[in-house]
Amino acid sequence: MNTIVEHIADFLKEYSPFDHLTYPELSEIANSIRVVNLEKNKTLFQYNDVLHDSFYVVASGVIHLSVIADAEETILNKCHEGAIFGLRPFFAKNNYRMTAKAREESIVYAIPIAVFRPFVANNTAVLDYLLENFATNTPSSKDNENSRGSLISDTVFYTDQQSEMQYFQTLSYNTTPLTTTATSIVSEVAQLMAEMRINSAVICEATFPIGIVTNTDMSFKIATGRFPITVSVDKIMSSPVVTVPENVSLAEAQLLMLKNNVTHLCVTADGTNKSNVKGVISEHDLIVAQASNPGVLIREIKRAQNPKELKKIRVRLTDLVQTSIYKNIPLTHISNITSEINFALLKRAIELSILEMGSPPARFAWLSIGSQGRKEQMLLTDQDSILVFEDVATEKHREVKDYFVNLGKSTSLTLEKIGYELCPNGHMASNMLWCRSLTDWIKQYDSWMKTPGEKSNNLSSIFFDYEIVFGEQRIEDAISNVIFKNASNNTLFFDFLGNDALRTNSPLSFFKKFILEETGPNKDKFDIKTRTLMPLIDGARLFTLSHGIKGINNTYTRFKQLAISDPKYSEIYLNCAEAFITLSKLRTVEGLKNENSGQYINLEELSKIDREKLKNALAPMRELEELIKNKFQLTQFS
Amino acid sequence: MLEWLKYINKELPEFWKTYLSKFDKKSNRYVVISTETSGTNPHKDVIFSISAFAVVDDSIYIGDSFEAILLQYIFLHDNQLSNEFIIESKMTKLGETEAIKAFIEFIGNSILVGHHIDHDVEMINAALEKLDCGRLKNEALDIDMMHLKLNDITDKQFTLDQLSEIYKIPNSERNSSINDAYKTALLFLKLKSRLGIK
Repeated sequence: MNTIVEHIADFLKEYSPFDHLTYPELSEIANSIRVVNLEKNKTLFQYNDVLHDSFYVVASGVIHLSVIADAEETILNKCHEGAIFGLRPFFAKNNYRMTAKAREESIVYAIPIAVFRPFVANNTAVLDYLLENFATNTPSSKDNENSRGSLISDTVFYTDQQSEMQYFQTLSYNTTPLTTTATSIVSEVAQLMAEMRINSAVICEATFPIGIVTNTDMSFKIATGRFPITVSVDKIMSSPVVTVPENVSLAEAQLLMLKNNVTHLCVTADGTNKSNVKGVISEHDLIVAQASNPGVLIREIKRAQNPKELKKIRVRLTDLVQTSIYKNIPLTHISNITSEINFALLKRAIELSILEMGSPPARFAWLSIGSQGRKEQMLLTDQDSILVFEDVATEKHREVKDYFVNLGKSTSLTLEKIGYELCPNGHMASNMLWCRSLTDWIKQYDSWMKTPGEKSNNLSSIFFDYEIVFGEQRIEDAISNVIFKNASNNTLFFDFLGNDALRTNSPLSFFKKFILEETGPNKDKFDIKTRTLMPLIDGARLFTLSHGIKGINNTYTRFKQLAISDPKYSEIYLNCAEAFITLSKLRTVEGLKNENSGQYINLEELSKIDREKLKNALAPMRELEELIKNKFQLTQFS
Repeated sequence: MLEWLKYINKELPEFWKTYLSKFDKKSNRYVVISTETSGTNPHKDVIFSISAFAVVDDSIYIGDSFEAILLQYIFLHDNQLSNEFIIESKMTKLGETEAIKAFIEFIGNSILVGHHIDHDVEMINAALEKLDCGRLKNEALDIDMMHLKLNDITDKQFTLDQLSEIYKIPNSERNSSINDAYKTALLFLKLKSRLGIK
């Protein structure tokens, strides 16, 4: 046996269903593997291709599985490292029902069916795993945590609406319900329900369900005083209980609840009330199962106990953004919702850290800066934040600062686990520099604004886009006041910002061609972030500060507001607002496609219409540039 | 040149005849090889190990591989080197004669691929000479040359590690000829598709 076989066996062992197999078995499989290299955009198999004699495991890279319906390519799943796909030959004889294409240069292991089949036959765990994944409809990414080791099904009966598919999925529900007997005392049952944090208890005779008590019964029958709290539970229970079999679908469960006018269903082994209790489905489970609903997401964030749960929610947020974009919901709307959810996530991350570290020794404010502060964060980007704590006595200062730096560190760590990358420039509250007392911050802003350019080349304009996430509103107000006090009639400062806004490279060459990246990993792509979005963002910030408009941080609303406050140029501002939306949308779509921040766009992949849209969106930028040049005499720094 | 004269009166070993007879047909099989040697002089130095993977239709066949450690008692003795590390390992150990024989059988008429393959081929030819055989008849491709051709570079050479980095092939910590052969095979697949070689 050679070492490469060992390597491959080690790799496979990490992922299901291979983890059910023994090492010698894995070695045997590894020994018969073919290693295939796929160039970017190379198709491995196509819809209606004859079945291959093997199935595939992704060793590195990303493979997209897609179907083409109504001349539109729809991505069913993205397979990452360790994912299995192409299982169809195991179970079916007819041709492939989907297309597998390499999104980036990838290496896949082809495992011959003939070799693997005996292991499947002899090992029920493996068989079950494969069957289950072959039988379920396309899993959306919310089900597979981290997409790692996830299986991708091949039997896709693709319908247009995603919600429809989810409608017939099986529900996940509480499988360890609180059970009690008819003679229990109400107050004891209520105590147990409170401890377990559930809102129902099943009353059983032997192991068969005879009734159910819910929060509603408690409030209607006990809290109103109709029954004393010492009565036995069978007096207030709803009986008989509505029972369902284990594999009930979402649609069915919802119908039953409506028909019987109940909020809870009892799951039993055979679906009658003459068998063992298996679980309880509540209305909440139904809501959770229905698509990724923003309200539900926020509620779940508040309940999340650890970064892992938050991460799952963050992944569902991406789903939400994706479906919303495809359904053509206005981008301003989507970004509002997204930022609310992002804020809730941040807040929960801070709360979790505080729970762990004990309550803070002083009042403080956690401010998000940069794109989060502007509420424009659609995709996973990096974390930018600062922390301001109230002034404390000098001898305590050190201790207090230590606490907050640690709080910052612990929170950034949580956020990193959720999937927000650390800021490459270190603009985070975990950094000593950006975790300071209020007086220090006021001094900092003073020096940035009164003597810009002087020893503060590192002045990042992102510090002027901030939004409170957690803590004292008054601290944020204090900072805003300092900024606006300093901003009035401060030509030097505006010169600096103005130059900063104009410094960015223009997006079009002299011949009106897009300027593409010349070197680096993103060669021949268009940098939509620095070349188009940043100038608009910088421009909007500059004008709002100079007009003294407070409390509006979002670039789109800033332009809208400017159109009102500065009617002379309202047309330019409105055009910029529209341009900003178009560009952000292009970026978001690109980011969703590649699962990154969407900073670099491959123009060749854009449709002709999109390319025109992009070009048109650049026109207002030139006007804005002229306006900046006219409005501020940019002499001191140029 | 005139090499055939040298062998005209000698009876060629049986395995070599079989090998030569395979060249009536053209092969679509590539064999990616990597050898570990004691140095670069084909006449003084010896081969310690040979590893190879077969590549057919753009995929590496893990099972269709070759790996052998050559027991070089005389060389080790002459140079007063210990052979413990060889004896300890679990891998197939063969004398030079058997190893070369098995290797020749494994490659058949396939096209050889390697990193700086001229060196590997020279080393094997030297070993074949000791066995009264001719030189290897296989076509040979060098992945470094492929890389240079792809990028129109003429004045540089790249090591296997450098190439692995350029084409983002994960580096394994252990350096053995089988690992090198596997890396070379992956590089070959990537270069092959980029250069459009069928």
